[in-house]
Amino acid sequence: MTVLAEGFNAFETAKTPEGVVKYLGSPQDVIALLSSGKLKEHILLVRGGTTTFLSPALSMGAIGIITMSGAPESHLGILSREFQTPCVMTAHLTSSDSRYVVGATDDAHFEEIRQGLEGKRVRLEVSDSETGRVVAA
Amino acid sequence: MTLQFEPGQKATYKDRYTDADDGLRFQDLEFVGNFVGQEPLKDGILGDKVQKQRAKSRVLEKVSREDVLKDQFTIDELNDLNNYLAWNIWDVLVMRATEGVSGMIPRQEYEILAFMHEFYRWPEFLRKTTDQVGAAGILDIGASARREIGTKINAVHDWCIGAVGFGMGRCGLLALEAIKPDDYVEESNEILKFMQRVLWGKRQDGYILNSQDRYRGRIHDADFLETITNQLEELQPDSPDHEAFTRFNAAAELLSFLDHFDCRLGLGDTGPYELPNGNILILRDLFTNEAEYHWSDVCDDEGLPHAYTLAIEIDPNAMGLQEIRVNDIATTFTRPKNYIPYIVGGAVFAREKWDTPMGEVRNVKISELGPELEKVQRATLKLYRKVSTMSRRELIWAGHDVYYFGMILPHLRKAGTWDQAVNSWQIKEVDQRIANYYYDIQKRGFAQETVPLKIFSGSGYLPFGEGADIRSSKYAWLF
Repeated sequence: MTVLAEGFNAFETAKTPEGVVKYLGSPQDVIALLSSGKLKEHILLVRGGTTTFLSPALSMGAIGIITMSGAPESHLGILSREFQTPCVMTAHLTSSDSRYVVGATDDAHFEEIRQGLEGKRVRLEVSDSETGRVVAA
Repeated sequence: MTLQFEPGQKATYKDRYTDADDGLRFQDLEFVGNFVGQEPLKDGILGDKVQKQRAKSRVLEKVSREDVLKDQFTIDELNDLNNYLAWNIWDVLVMRATEGVSGMIPRQEYEILAFMHEFYRWPEFLRKTTDQVGAAGILDIGASARREIGTKINAVHDWCIGAVGFGMGRCGLLALEAIKPDDYVEESNEILKFMQRVLWGKRQDGYILNSQDRYRGRIHDADFLETITNQLEELQPDSPDHEAFTRFNAAAELLSFLDHFDCRLGLGDTGPYELPNGNILILRDLFTNEAEYHWSDVCDDEGLPHAYTLAIEIDPNAMGLQEIRVNDIATTFTRPKNYIPYIVGGAVFAREKWDTPMGEVRNVKISELGPELEKVQRATLKLYRKVSTMSRRELIWAGHDVYYFGMILPHLRKAGTWDQAVNSWQIKEVDQRIANYYYDIQKRGFAQETVPLKIFSGSGYLPFGEGADIRSSKYAWLF
């Protein structure tokens, strides 16, 4: 099992969703993905841990989420628990020392994670109470 | 910190309610605030205990109706409340605050504008409202929540009066150097008195905050609660009804967040209530259609009610429940974290308008949730499209409105002063100082870095000084 990234686990579940990582950078990206009918083929990668940005994706049955900031107490953490959508939060690449720090993280950190995960087929391992893992599928 | 739990092990959450118990730690971080040079505070029950030990007054202990009806706090009481709220804010929000940018709604910007606006203008609205209904009338407003569901007179709104309007508003203005620590003491008293009275009237056990009572917000009278629990339907694990109930809970909660611009004012939990069979009940209000927000017209078009209320019955033993916190922003967190699979009963209610009488609140059978879910989903998509086309300025001021007048809207409505506030007191206007701050807060990372750091680290809640006078406002704008 190759762990590509890990972060806070929003909630414990035996679910192990698998899909190709799709980065969503704007509301238009979210709407386009929903319109494509391919929502359930993807693990969604987003920067923030807020919930409104992903609203329609959550509502229409997103299978798994990776965020680059936020925690289980963040709004997206709460909503992913309610939807039972596995969610790894504030993920960092295991191959990198770069870590998210509130108010002191530049774009390079986020871009590195995007480059490291986008387009890859992954599985979320989220049975641990604290740590969620993104593994190569 | 790693806590591993085995579902199915016996629940131990009741241990948290014994005097000697310090509760679990939900996070590794520590709080310093104004306690520089002293042992940092922890989260949860232990943090509350230490705050009470360090207080200079009795205001954090159970207080009497006579105490609450007094018009003025002492400076020590104000400082104890300031310190406690700073810790409480950290306790409930420090981890949430790591969530970064929204990608859609500039929340930090709208939040800080609203905080400061509240501190400047709420004292007038709260004083005039108190003048009209009397101090005891404010207690009655709080008490009304004991026999209602689908009411925004709830933990999060009540907490916001003091924690946000006073605590964060004053913190933001201090950070902006617009005020000094001993300015606006009288106004601070006005805001905190209103908060104390509403919360005391609601709880009626002498405390005002859930964190003072080991994170319990059990406000409903037993006979009223029985009218809710009588409607509970059994939910078998993994059954279609379980799926329908939990999916509806999630979808309606999501819309409530969106209708309130990604903030917690859209939902409110009370509990945990222990049921006769040993299970626990959480009552959850989800506000899916707020008539005062113009963008909520899409919710209205779908025929959505002001609020859905979900009665959620959880089997604590099947879950191996170690601790449950219904915190002061009315959100439930548990250890283990995932309570959804252990929901064994549920009921759904709809309150059409904010003032629909309790006798007219309708029970929606779980077998009939399908059409309700579709309405919620359609409204979510329409609202998302609408919000995604709003300009940055529109988003900031709309979010500002959700906070600035939305936090005291339910109390003024109940007092009967809301229309006056709009028409005579001009609550929906923007104070010129705040209009000017719109530009200031967007410079040098003030909204996105400076203020969140001061608010969530606790370093920005400067105490009132020894020379502070309870009668003082701010008399000069000099340096």
